[in-house]
Amino acid sequence: MAQPELGDEILRLDNLNVHFPVKMPFVQRLLQREKAVVHAVDGVSFSIHSGEILGLVGESGCGKTTVGKASVRLLNPTSGRIFFAGQDISKIGGRSLRTLRRKMQIIFQDPHASLNPAMAIGRAIGHPLWIHGSEFGIQNLSSTVFRERVQQRVLSTMREVGLTPEEQLYDKFPGDLSGGQKQRAVIARALILEPDLLVVDEGVSMLDMSIRAKVLELMLDLKRQHGLTYLFITHDLATAKFICDRLAIMYLGRIVEIGPARDIYADPKHPYTKALLQVVPIPDPDKRKEKVLPRGEVPDAVHPPAGCRFHPRCPAVLPSCGWEGRDFVDFLDEHLSDPKRAGDDELVLGPIENWRTNGLVASLEAKPLNIEEAVERVKAVLAEAPIAMAQAIESVSTHKRTVIIHFRPPNELRQTQVGDRIVECLLYQ
Amino acid sequence: MDPMLQVQDLSVHYKTRRGFVRALEELRLDAIQGETVGVVGETGSGKSTLGKAILGILPAGTQVDGKILFRGRDLTQLSNQMYRRLRGEEIALIFQDPMTRLNPLMTIMDHFVEEIRDHESVSADEARRRAREALVSMGIHESRIKNYPHEFSGGMRQRIMIALAIVLKPSLLIADEPTTSLDVIVESQILGILQDLKRAYSMSLLLITHNLGIVAEVCDRVAVLYAGKLVELGPVRDIFRKPLHPYTQGLLSSIIHLETKELHSIEGSPPNMIAPPSGCRFHPRCPYAQSICVERLPPLVEFEPGHFAACHFGDKFL
Repeated sequence: MAQPELGDEILRLDNLNVHFPVKMPFVQRLLQREKAVVHAVDGVSFSIHSGEILGLVGESGCGKTTVGKASVRLLNPTSGRIFFAGQDISKIGGRSLRTLRRKMQIIFQDPHASLNPAMAIGRAIGHPLWIHGSEFGIQNLSSTVFRERVQQRVLSTMREVGLTPEEQLYDKFPGDLSGGQKQRAVIARALILEPDLLVVDEGVSMLDMSIRAKVLELMLDLKRQHGLTYLFITHDLATAKFICDRLAIMYLGRIVEIGPARDIYADPKHPYTKALLQVVPIPDPDKRKEKVLPRGEVPDAVHPPAGCRFHPRCPAVLPSCGWEGRDFVDFLDEHLSDPKRAGDDELVLGPIENWRTNGLVASLEAKPLNIEEAVERVKAVLAEAPIAMAQAIESVSTHKRTVIIHFRPPNELRQTQVGDRIVECLLYQ
Repeated sequence: MDPMLQVQDLSVHYKTRRGFVRALEELRLDAIQGETVGVVGETGSGKSTLGKAILGILPAGTQVDGKILFRGRDLTQLSNQMYRRLRGEEIALIFQDPMTRLNPLMTIMDHFVEEIRDHESVSADEARRRAREALVSMGIHESRIKNYPHEFSGGMRQRIMIALAIVLKPSLLIADEPTTSLDVIVESQILGILQDLKRAYSMSLLLITHNLGIVAEVCDRVAVLYAGKLVELGPVRDIFRKPLHPYTQGLLSSIIHLETKELHSIEGSPPNMIAPPSGCRFHPRCPYAQSICVERLPPLVEFEPGHFAACHFGDKFL
């Protein structure tokens, strides 16, 4: 796909943060000194230019949907700024926000859940016109003139998104439509106000393979004909590759790599991007291969890992990536869970709940007389640990009856320009 | 080798207020020991119905015709009591969404103990020991066995479901979209686990999925379902290299993968299953449809050894 001329900047996020408070019982809230928050989005910046499709790719819980919702101000940012066509919209509300919504629309994953089952399709598609009618200079919304104008607009939009025969479908209810038709209806409803920006959140993920391509083609057509700009949120790298001009790869609230889609596929830089690309299934039984997968799953975003958030799972991790006390405890937990490897380590080093961590330090108050043995066992366990973690340890020492493991402080992680993309990884710093 | 599972002319019709939904029509399929058979189809193809029919968990009042032979026994004739014994012990099922299948009020331990003691008269201690073992084999620390389902991540819950499914060492495992609700990396991990298990216990695996990419990566043979009919069946290589049914061809070319240069799709949408199209059910969407396709139902023909297709013009694609 040819790189289009960059138009005006439509959307810009500047160091966007969205944190959600963790719900907890009142007493616990009183006792807890620090407020627990989910770091859904933590310092995300990017911009989208007119006529461009930016793909936001990541696993569930990485914050991609939160970025999408915050971009159209369905969520309020905790801090940072959002610019739409040059205007700072991070704090606006009420009437001015409503006016703005005409220019930005969002489409969700499940078309069935996005349509009111008791509202006929034609009425649903025309609904935004009624809501925003006054902005078109129409005072009397109940006038026949307006009704007819709305109906004409709805019918022509239905034709445009391929929801035909439009006259027949106009009075149908969502339950009568197939999945593909429903998603087309949702797209029509989003388009009827002629927005400049369309946020598509997993917009084709629920559709069957045989009709998914049609909906993607429709989106590309709309981009060509109306110069529509998209923020395309997906977990599917193959779809993103086909449709996006640029890609942003997100992991646990951070963008780890952003740049032209073609370059990222040809030569992924960040180890997480590499991992994601590797797991895209290849529809060819002769190309089966063993995969080197990142260990475990995405950790919880209340206490994201220090340093690079991907480091505990990263196959290319360095000693300076942000190892700390709890990484050791996590590894020990894993070690102890396998009786074959652990032997009687549990007697000396367990149970895991007895370990305390504080930033770079992990400590265990050993059972009496066991202190020397505990140190020996810790060292033996470390011999099996990821080399980078073992190398990140500054010392294993004792203080009275406590074994203390000290980690070296990590290197500072910065976003680095590599060619025409930005990568957040120590390997490229 | 005798097939472990033989599905013969299985038809399943659901009763609804608008009439009978013909979810499956005269389906034939078999699986030998240690084999992974992929059952592929889109929404409404009847693939999940097949899994439920084998396990005997179709809703009451459903009309079932044909035979499901498992190690020579016809499952459709089994009493409820016999079926209860069979489920879990010989045939187990893994569902798409583990959260809705695990009881939120029971600890993981309770799930295992209930499953084991329902089928075998063992002491509670023995059941607990085996529960721990099964959990550890899935890479979950045994100290977490007293936790509740909500305390685990999605991938861990699916591993618990798998551990629960295999704790009685069944010989046939049916996995209905086992990775669809999981993240891509975890999906890859779970598929790896399923394959390791299959090898370790020489189980047969019936993998029901809409994702052809996964099929290409893990299956030995593939059955393609369209609107309740088996349209193509064969070794995975043959299906991907030389698909004989136009629906399979359309499905394969509509996969979006990293090498995709152009988008393809199948015209039209899946048929109404209460009044399915006459003749070949795919004919309204088929680019090659002739008048015979409208009039006559194509039989399932073996065009190459082990490679079947139900198309009047299957030989044209050889």
